[in-house]
Amino acid sequence: MKKLSLVDIVVIIVIGIVFGVIMKFWDDLYSVVKPLLPTLRQLIYGMWFMVGPFAALLIRKPGAALLASVAGASLSALVGNGFEVLMYGLIQGLGAELVFLAFRYRKFSIAVAGLAGIMSCVGGFLLDLSYGYAELETWALIVKYGLRVISAFIFTGIFAYYIVLALEKTKVTSLIRPIDYSEIDNLKQ
Amino acid sequence: MTNKAIGVTKLRAKYSGEKQLIFNDLTLSIPHGQKLLLLGPSGCGKSTLLQIISGIIPGAVQIPLLAEQITKPESWGFVFQDPDTQFCMSYVDEELAFVLENQQIPQEQMKQLIEEALEHVQLHLPKLHTPIAELSQGMKQRLALAAVLLLKPDVVFLDEPSALLDPEGKQYIWETIRSTLAQHTVIVVEHHIDGILDWFDRVVVLNRQGDIIADGHPSHVFVEQKSFLMQEGIWYPNIWEEYFSYQSDSPSLAFRAEATAELQAQPNTSGSQPLLELQNFKIKRGAYSLDVPYAAAQQGDWIAIRGKNGAGKSTLLFALARLLASNGSYRIQGEDVGEDIPPSMSYVFQNPELQFITDRIIDEVTHSLIVKYDKERTEKEQSEHWIKRLFAPKQRKSRIDLQQLTLEASAALEQLQLSVPPDRHPYELSIGQKRRLSVLTALVENRSILLLDEPTFGQDARSTFIMLEWLQQLQASGVTIMMITHDEQIMRRFATQIWHIEHGTLTTCSPAQALYSKEADDEQLTQLVHT
Amino acid sequence: MNSLLNWFTPNKQTWLHRCNPSLKFVALFAIMLFVFFSRAIGLYVGYIICLSIVLWSSSGFPARKVALLHIPILISSLSSGITLTLFGRGNDIIWQWWIIKISHESIHSGMMIGTKSLLIGIISLLLLLTSPPVKLLYSFMQQLRLPAKYAYAFLAGLRLVPYMIEEVQLRRRALRIRRVQADRGFAKIYQMIKLYSIPLIAQAIRRAHRIGIAMEAKQFQQKRTYYYITSFSAYDGIFVCIVLICTAVALIVPELPV
Repeated sequence: MKKLSLVDIVVIIVIGIVFGVIMKFWDDLYSVVKPLLPTLRQLIYGMWFMVGPFAALLIRKPGAALLASVAGASLSALVGNGFEVLMYGLIQGLGAELVFLAFRYRKFSIAVAGLAGIMSCVGGFLLDLSYGYAELETWALIVKYGLRVISAFIFTGIFAYYIVLALEKTKVTSLIRPIDYSEIDNLKQ
Repeated sequence: MTNKAIGVTKLRAKYSGEKQLIFNDLTLSIPHGQKLLLLGPSGCGKSTLLQIISGIIPGAVQIPLLAEQITKPESWGFVFQDPDTQFCMSYVDEELAFVLENQQIPQEQMKQLIEEALEHVQLHLPKLHTPIAELSQGMKQRLALAAVLLLKPDVVFLDEPSALLDPEGKQYIWETIRSTLAQHTVIVVEHHIDGILDWFDRVVVLNRQGDIIADGHPSHVFVEQKSFLMQEGIWYPNIWEEYFSYQSDSPSLAFRAEATAELQAQPNTSGSQPLLELQNFKIKRGAYSLDVPYAAAQQGDWIAIRGKNGAGKSTLLFALARLLASNGSYRIQGEDVGEDIPPSMSYVFQNPELQFITDRIIDEVTHSLIVKYDKERTEKEQSEHWIKRLFAPKQRKSRIDLQQLTLEASAALEQLQLSVPPDRHPYELSIGQKRRLSVLTALVENRSILLLDEPTFGQDARSTFIMLEWLQQLQASGVTIMMITHDEQIMRRFATQIWHIEHGTLTTCSPAQALYSKEADDEQLTQLVHT
Repeated sequence: MNSLLNWFTPNKQTWLHRCNPSLKFVALFAIMLFVFFSRAIGLYVGYIICLSIVLWSSSGFPARKVALLHIPILISSLSSGITLTLFGRGNDIIWQWWIIKISHESIHSGMMIGTKSLLIGIISLLLLLTSPPVKLLYSFMQQLRLPAKYAYAFLAGLRLVPYMIEEVQLRRRALRIRRVQADRGFAKIYQMIKLYSIPLIAQAIRRAHRIGIAMEAKQFQQKRTYYYITSFSAYDGIFVCIVLICTAVALIVPELPV
């Protein structure tokens, strides 16, 4: 299992920042929609969980999910989304990272990515409990977090997976994936 | 500082995931103090070789690599091709300080060292804390060189330092290189060798397979390998003159050249209505504004739009394509142009990737073909009598035969010499191929005005000439070309009109008038080349 | 882009600007954690009043800008508050209609969330308006021992943001030129996400990769000296005192018999 090099870190943080920028716009969209149609809001909430699993799928090295999530949250905080996103970024990133760790950083399928998204969602839920966002009627609670979990899976399992797949076709990913050391032996003939 | 030679012995390398070797037992040794120029076709691995000798591979980048010996320099610096991705900080002083921080220079000494470094590369700025974004591309490359010099290197590697610069930038960066690197070992990869050959002690030419096919003094190598270099698209001295003498040998192309010269000699023939006309045309974009008192293009014109970076050339094209709002009179074929993109116009962006929308090369072309057929169908519908239209059966998106489209797309790709496997992803192509694909998708839509944003920028000679020949053929078939370029040769030899943007105003003139004052500078340049 | 950065540049440097950014960060983060996990509206109101006094007096920005920046915070707090009031858990019902159920508890929850969000927003402004990113990160490296690679990688990333934003714009124009028609519904969202994300992320990866290599080529290492030296001063003492006073006020005042 490789450690992250400087180049890896720059790439991961830049990806985090890209998502941070996207999340800023997503957030503007979100806060307008918020009180009117709570259900719609939860369905697009998944975007917030996308950073970590996306980075992990892309780079496939340990630490990618956590670092990207924190970087994205840092940018969000910097552009004025509030300080608390740092905590959410950390916990959600950690949730995702733990899932990839559990699979020893060897499986990068839709299921694993989706699960990572769901764990991020769980982490967010735990924070929400402390914050007070979860003081809802039971039915509202189930609707809110149920939809959120579905959204998480859609964004991290499906969207993230297929976008990374599309990026692989562009061969950009060959710059950043770990190399297969058996290829050096092939050179020896 | 040592006087050891650097280099590689029996180097083998390949890219991760690919079967083909980049280098097969390559051996190259560079003695101390030598100025080496590395030439070769695009994609033969020259940049990779520089990165291996310097140690960037395997230090920062990993590729499968095997060699009997690699002797890296003890201290070195590297100047990369892209001015915008060499820096990690946003301000000039912070970036240079970054280098000093890495070397653990005490903070008190930093300011002075920064000032000296800037002075050394002739980068005169009003204050040290200037945003890098305010520098021109040429200035950024000089800044990169300043940063390298702060490392106090023995060896300096330069990977196509002038590829993404305009002619003025190219000139200045090479002046700076000559004056600051006289004592260093220098290894350069370049494509534009016009005017710089005299500085080098040695030229090494690689072929497509990564083998050394020539190695010696510039004058020898250049003469021996000229046909190879020409074939592989290196910008060597006098290439334009030779290209045109070759052109005049071919009757059809000669005819074209004569016709262009005629159009250049006499401006707009009075009476005939211009195809595109701008009058009191104004564009406002934030703090910036562009004013066009009068400009007109005839059918079959080739208009070259020039101006300094940031002058507003792209803004003009955006406004013409209605991607930006404007005031004033703008007419195509006598009719005022509305808010939508004019159906007679297609546009090619400077970065071709921004225009790709599919995963396969063939799909890019078929998409444009579908757009073309849709357009023809709507035009046909609109030309029919309104009663007929009212009673015509409702037609949804016509199921155009996909297979036939694919055949047509393949034919187009072949006709314009874009012989690549059509299933590949557009991003896998080389920059020249991407450009051509992007122009192809615009061509296939069959519109009468073609707007292009620096289509030959940063490309090797071969791609450039192929592109220019296409555009000439288009012009011959009646398409009007409006092209942003800073290449004087194109302006002189291909354009029928020059639109010059300066200080927020656009003025038009003929090529002969435009370049008159530059004649003297050209003389000087040719002197340099023939040394 | 420059004009955007200029808008965020303070008019004058106040004592808050001269404080050590890491100290501010740690202190304000600590307050935020305290607030985050607590449940006392009185505490929030107390803090809001005290910290607002600090913010409006010492931000270094004109009152108009500070007010403008409060707008998104207010919108967010209000909407969270309203949502909780309408759908919050509670038994002591005041008004009910369809799924909406306003009760004493839900009003309390709503008010708590609203004030909490407002307070955290104010804390964020207090930090952001008085700490430019570069100095902040240099301070993290020197005072909080943040490994240099993360700090500079982040700064490099910030550099790329203007390019990314410009490319989004260009991409939108290019899609119009190519006459791309999107289908309806969910497929459209996916298609649009793909059409935008692929070129932009691919380009971001390439640029990040190149910058990383360039940083290595400049002999980057952890052990280094610093161009911007951040340290502690008397102002930091003042800052700590003020934070303590605010905290005391916020804790005590709600308890006073009124």
